[in-house]
Amino acid sequence: MSREISRRTFIKGAAAAGVVLAAGSYFTWNGRNIPEKVQKGDVTYDVLIIGSGGAGMRAALAAAENKDLKVAVLTKLVPTRSASTMAQGGMNGVTGVTDPNDSFESHAFDTIKGGDYLCDQDAVEYFVERAGKNIYEMDYMGYPYNRQDDGHFHQRKMGGHAHARAAYFEDRAGHAMVHTLFEQCLAHDIDFISECQMLEISMAGEKKDKLAGVVAMDMRSGNIIGIPAKTIVIATGGYGRAYWVRTSNPYSSTGDGIVAGMNVGIPFKDPEMVQFHPTGLSVNGVLLSESSRAEGALLVNKDGERFMKKYAPEKMELATRDIVARGIATEIEQGRGIGEGITAGVYLDFTKIPPERIHQRLGQVADLAKRFAGVDITKEPVLISPTCHYSMGGLEMADFHTGETRVPGIYTAGECSCVSVHGANRLGANSLSEVLVFGHTAGDGAAAYAKEHKYEGSQDQLTKDSKKWLDSFEEVTSRPHDGNRTVPEIRDDMVKTMWFKAGVFRNGPDLEAAAKELSVLEDQYKNCYVGDQSHIYNTAYEQYIELGNLLQISQAIVQGAIARKESRGAHTRRDFPKRDDKNFLKHTLVFKEDGKYRFEYKDVVVTKYEPKERKY
Amino acid sequence: MKFAFFPGCVLKGAAAEAYTSMQKVCEALGIELEEIPNWTCCGASHAQGVNDLAALAVNARNISIAENMGLPILTVCNTCTLQLRTAKYRLDHDAALKDKVNAILKEAGHPYEYKGTSEITHFLWVLDDHPELFEGKVTDALQGTKIAAYYGCHILRPQDIMSHEDGKYPESLERLVRRLGGTPVWFDAHRKCCGFHAQLAAEHDVLTVTGQIVDSAGRAHADLIVTPCPLCQMQLDMYEPEGRQAVQSSVEIPILHLQQLIGLALGMSKKDIGFDRHVSAQEKLKIG
Amino acid sequence: MATLRIHRFVEGRKWVQDYTVEVTKGMTVLEALISIKEHQDPTLSFTCSCRSSICGACAVRVNGNAELSCEKLVADLIARYQTETLTVEPLGNFRVIRDLIVDWDPKYARIKKVKPVVHPKDEFSAEDGCRQSPADFDKYKKYAGCILCGSCVSECNKNTLNQKDFLDPFAFVKAERITADSRDKDPKEHLKAVLDAGLWRCFNCQECTAKCPKHLDPAGAIEKLKAATFKYHLDDNVGARHAKAIYDDIQESGTLDESKLNIKSEGFFMAGLRAPMALRLMHVGKMNPLESHPVNPEVKTIAAIVKAAEKEEE
Repeated sequence: MSREISRRTFIKGAAAAGVVLAAGSYFTWNGRNIPEKVQKGDVTYDVLIIGSGGAGMRAALAAAENKDLKVAVLTKLVPTRSASTMAQGGMNGVTGVTDPNDSFESHAFDTIKGGDYLCDQDAVEYFVERAGKNIYEMDYMGYPYNRQDDGHFHQRKMGGHAHARAAYFEDRAGHAMVHTLFEQCLAHDIDFISECQMLEISMAGEKKDKLAGVVAMDMRSGNIIGIPAKTIVIATGGYGRAYWVRTSNPYSSTGDGIVAGMNVGIPFKDPEMVQFHPTGLSVNGVLLSESSRAEGALLVNKDGERFMKKYAPEKMELATRDIVARGIATEIEQGRGIGEGITAGVYLDFTKIPPERIHQRLGQVADLAKRFAGVDITKEPVLISPTCHYSMGGLEMADFHTGETRVPGIYTAGECSCVSVHGANRLGANSLSEVLVFGHTAGDGAAAYAKEHKYEGSQDQLTKDSKKWLDSFEEVTSRPHDGNRTVPEIRDDMVKTMWFKAGVFRNGPDLEAAAKELSVLEDQYKNCYVGDQSHIYNTAYEQYIELGNLLQISQAIVQGAIARKESRGAHTRRDFPKRDDKNFLKHTLVFKEDGKYRFEYKDVVVTKYEPKERKY
Repeated sequence: MKFAFFPGCVLKGAAAEAYTSMQKVCEALGIELEEIPNWTCCGASHAQGVNDLAALAVNARNISIAENMGLPILTVCNTCTLQLRTAKYRLDHDAALKDKVNAILKEAGHPYEYKGTSEITHFLWVLDDHPELFEGKVTDALQGTKIAAYYGCHILRPQDIMSHEDGKYPESLERLVRRLGGTPVWFDAHRKCCGFHAQLAAEHDVLTVTGQIVDSAGRAHADLIVTPCPLCQMQLDMYEPEGRQAVQSSVEIPILHLQQLIGLALGMSKKDIGFDRHVSAQEKLKIG
Repeated sequence: MATLRIHRFVEGRKWVQDYTVEVTKGMTVLEALISIKEHQDPTLSFTCSCRSSICGACAVRVNGNAELSCEKLVADLIARYQTETLTVEPLGNFRVIRDLIVDWDPKYARIKKVKPVVHPKDEFSAEDGCRQSPADFDKYKKYAGCILCGSCVSECNKNTLNQKDFLDPFAFVKAERITADSRDKDPKEHLKAVLDAGLWRCFNCQECTAKCPKHLDPAGAIEKLKAATFKYHLDDNVGARHAKAIYDDIQESGTLDESKLNIKSEGFFMAGLRAPMALRLMHVGKMNPLESHPVNPEVKTIAAIVKAAEKEEE
């Protein structure tokens, strides 16, 4: 049956072509994403790592150096899809390679000052002493460093740092790190338990104080599996998605590990410390790199005014992230922004920069603006507003020498943890180095623990907990729509609450209101509509789990912010505009007890860097 | 309209009918061809897999001769076009590489340096851009003929280098078929690879895909397949019997070079276009 | 408005389902999918993570071509295909788990085949790192940009026919990334592995290069690996002999001597098995073994160019 080609039939044909030519095999699950021994339940891992980002894979490699230990990485996606891949700038470490004048003291001081003195200084010292070593180690693992003429990796200077100390690969430092670590994991035959969403850390014993393992949903089969483990390392990343469209983080940054950790008694440290980057695309929060402003892009409000002159008359657009973010937020708040609601913004204007230079140096920025906002930045300005970028808070690391939490057998590393080296504000290129240093430490720590301890958990407990989740899955996914709100509806409300009442600027009454609004949403969540009953790769259910975690995280952020009656680093209270070292040179610790949050405070460790006013 | 003509090896060898029909058709259309003197093989998509710089320098030499003629280059083979355009693209985008290659040409005693002044184009693209060439010349010979327009790979990909049209949705060949009075039929393999370059290393797969392509056109009730690439033509024509066997098909249809189809549309005979040199479907061509 | 005609697959059931979405400014294919999931059908399943083209989680096939869904605008596709109906399928040459979600596990096993890890030279150490000139870094840096999205293999012609004796283009990219890395002590290890994994069976169809959203040119990586096998004298196979025969023809006569290519590539015995084909060709005058192959008058210059280039490459 031949026919004259019309444009339409041609397309129909093209679509059909895909079918004929693809003729691929379709899948029946045979559990290849899960090692057979896990399926059969006849393996107890010595070290089970949750999360396959930089921290998780670094921890796995460290633990796997002990050949007699059984090590695995559990991840909700497949490896290499993590937030770490998005890091652009580099990984800091004092090596003296590019700048011989650099020193541990200098890196420590920059980090502590950048963190507005909320960093634990002994931890920072430990961190800076090891960060450089990790750069060399990554070189040996095959990290594709940009080089300098003497053959060493080249290091560049990042904002807030006094010396050039960030080694990097192009503008994709995190991507290269993740893939280098993944290559190593493949070479070391490390087990990956991929596409499994962690649901719970299972604790056995009368007092529920013996680690039994992890309960997770195997996305492919829908099976709920219990994986026994002597130790686990929680490395699940940050919680930027509490601000949903107003974050640069990937969809997967939902704080899963932090909530699971809180549920077994690990405190959530400094939850209110959330960093906002000033230049996210208004339309979806995707980051436009810091280099935009460095290359001369101007910030302009709806009246055409370069408003930064009011907030940083000397540095103007080149002021630090937090100052610029607050400037932009003020303009929008006072009605001088463009647009309404969550996607309101101000203009970032590149038109004074010669187009050749834009193409040469801001290619990725131009590309993102074109793609997401439909704007050619060589011709017109693009709408931007602050975007949640990094979570300084996280699970309390009780001992930074080992990565352990206060629950025996449970370790943590990376953005989901709080050591604390970033304090109230993280500096550029310190996150990748943190991931390497403490990923390594936690892997070693967990391995050492596993060698010295027997498995004290119980398979029965895992089975019991798995059964509970399976029942819950059936109940949740079979709920009818009638009258119940959907997961995205509740999430969108959560975001509005978080962005407008617990965002860049905060104040007591707003935060109190936010806490109430979140409670209402938590109630709605209990009956929410998921809408997909299939056991096979049920992403609707996964998103339901993630929203549950984000609601708990959000409540902790808000309550932490209510209690911290000062402004420090990324936490800005309109009603308490000054830093208050007398009352708040302290870490917030949130404990979850009987479904409620209990607060404790812990003094910041000060060694030799006396808190001073933070000025740049 | 005048071009420095790069015929490529197969037009001087196994596909001589493509050479003679090209001469005749260009004369009829008023396109003047001056063959690049002492041109060499483009590397046939293999030479760079032995030594990349040598393959590049050899093509820089080819292009530089045309530059000295002061003419743009016309090719009639997908692979030659890709090889030459790749060389040009790389030399034009990398000054250091250009210097290095020019030093090699000089050292070897080649009289011209590569400058980058001659464009390189494919016969199909010229015809697509110049519909006026056909004005008043097309007969009704192809009226009612269902034609499967088979692009092959190298005229479409990679996009940066083969930039005449969107390689993911090409239309130039169908447009030309219509202009010649034929009826393009849609068939699902129109952008697939014929496998020519892997015939020796992956024989079974290549014969399978050869069979699939011809079968796909047959199932679309095409009377013939036309292709702008003599390598695709050879693969589909010469191996049509083996292809049929590989996919258990009974389809037997003529595989025409682009210039042969144009010749027929202009009123030439089968003999004029050298159809007697084809291996397959001698009895099936009902035109000319 | 656009209609997304999505190939669904859930628990063994296959069907095609149309969804209509309002196309907003800057709407990507991924945003359209998310909008459908959130407002029309929560059962539609796909994966995504970073939504800024670096994590590689969201590649799908639209109208037969692989795309990173987070970076491809719906409006651009409508313009390309001149229709408001876009067909969205899972990537080709992957097994499908559900809807647009594909199975990566077998792919990791395939990457492993190229021994994808740098084994640093003995003079380097974990304590002191490695040394590498900026020029040596440039030799592989492009290939270090692979995000493992799978777009390159989706329409790979060789993989579509048979995956058993040929790897995915991204695995070859990984192999070239390591082989060309001056820190590695034994490129031969990886080259032998890729030869075993089908290096010469590439069709050179350029589909991988056309589909790579990072413009890494996997087809070019395959060519670089081939050239490296000559450098390390791992060229005793049909594919290599065939390429070398063509290369030598250029130096010896300027053009290809087709009647002798097969003999040079496969040896007299194998070429002899092709006698029926040869007879067929002789019959229509396509091949004449008695005809002497013409020699380019400038063949000395041409050979000198090749020699000079070879010297320069060393």
